[in-house]
Amino acid sequence: MKHSISIFWRLKDNHYKIYVTKCGDCGRVASLKRLKCPYCGSRNVEHVESRGFGELINYTVSYYRTEGSEQYLPRVVGLVKLDEGPVIVGEITDVDLNELSIGTRVEAVLRKYSSEDPNGLIYYGLKFIPVIKK
Amino acid sequence: MVGSGVTKVDRHYDKNYLVLIDEAVGKTLANSGLDASDIEYLIVSTAFSESILNQADPSTYIAQNLGFRNVKALTVSSGEVSGAVALDYAHALIRSGKASRVLVVGFEKMSEYPSWVINRVYSKILEYEVEGIKNVAPSDYAALIMNDYMRRYGVSRESIIKWSIKMHENAVKTPHAQLQFTISADSLSKALRISEPLTMLDSHPTSDGAAALLLVNESVAKKAGTTPIELVDVESSVNLPIYLRDDLTYFSATAAAYKRLSSRNGVKLTTNTAINVYDTYDIYGLLTIEALEICARGEAVKCVDEMPYLNVGGGLKARGHPVGATPLYQVHELRELMSGTSWVKYDGDISLAHAMSGPDNNAWLILLKGWV
Repeated sequence: MKHSISIFWRLKDNHYKIYVTKCGDCGRVASLKRLKCPYCGSRNVEHVESRGFGELINYTVSYYRTEGSEQYLPRVVGLVKLDEGPVIVGEITDVDLNELSIGTRVEAVLRKYSSEDPNGLIYYGLKFIPVIKK
Repeated sequence: MVGSGVTKVDRHYDKNYLVLIDEAVGKTLANSGLDASDIEYLIVSTAFSESILNQADPSTYIAQNLGFRNVKALTVSSGEVSGAVALDYAHALIRSGKASRVLVVGFEKMSEYPSWVINRVYSKILEYEVEGIKNVAPSDYAALIMNDYMRRYGVSRESIIKWSIKMHENAVKTPHAQLQFTISADSLSKALRISEPLTMLDSHPTSDGAAALLLVNESVAKKAGTTPIELVDVESSVNLPIYLRDDLTYFSATAAAYKRLSSRNGVKLTTNTAINVYDTYDIYGLLTIEALEICARGEAVKCVDEMPYLNVGGGLKARGHPVGATPLYQVHELRELMSGTSWVKYDGDISLAHAMSGPDNNAWLILLKGWV
């Protein structure tokens, strides 16, 4: 799929980093850098960079084929509850499906989103892998 | 509403969108006492004509090719609820007195390309800059929601498929339905997986089709050759993206829209009310009848067998999902039911169509009533 280069540059804080949006009015925290609080609509928000660690709270093994996705199937798509509180959707990669379970600790890593651009461009962004024990 | 017509939902490789629409419009205008030259507004709903057919504003070319003269033509595109939004606009034009004869036409051609191309197009119903760019698919969300529902309420995977079994049974009796065959729970283990635990048996098919509805004011309706059905009210609401929801198993946009619609019109749905809801995936159908307060939360599977007028056309699951036309198919099926031309007899006064884009991201309700 062809993506706009400027989109990846413009959205770098949501695809090369993870931010959370803290609301100064209702107090809720949402994933991603946002103009307004999605819960109460307030502009009184603070953007805080996440450490990129969290817990897998739900996931699916997906065989849904889209143009250019063949080489990545099956993919694991999951919801990750970040240590900062909010939930983010993302792909879980580099994982043995037999060892994956709800509650797995995961961390964000830079990986390839797609590479089927007609001009040969490769698009990167953040995915999650099980936490590497050091 | 004094007329409606649909094409068979199918993979119409041999027909372009104009041929499909011509058939649906012809059926709609028949017996209405009106022809194309009487139509004041032509409102066209499609979700993906720009993506799939490379056609912006198809309403112009429908008017040019199908004999609409001096008509005000426009296109409505609002994801999977395009048809409901088009109906709301038509309803407002009639109610305000700005128009007395409005034709709403919906269509989609989802079989123009192989499934892996169309799957990418269909995924545009999610937020591109957040979900689309990461290749998150609509079926992935349905799977996550199904997981949560089964865990929270102790519902088994095998029991959820009851919804799809009923939809296929209804589709067998519906001439315009796409999947006119029955399925059984035994097939579940062999079914093609989409996003685990979701399989092909839980999902809508890829569909082409066109549907049309003719809305007129009261004085025109009295002269029509058919018994009119009243479009009483339209209501809608928007939900948060699912990763920001506190509870994935509650369709709060559908619930909020229903509370407003119910309160304003003094209606309450029961298991005996004719409803036609969006079951893009069977789990969505179950959550919708809970959000509409017909069944208690976690109990929808038990209700399905007690609802004789649930998705009588087979739902998106088995009638099919020609996206821009789907809400119009739903209303057409309810109109047939209320005017006594459906395969099942219905004595109720009201009926309700429910449409939504994605997993309750944008939910719309259309309330119909028999003509008094």
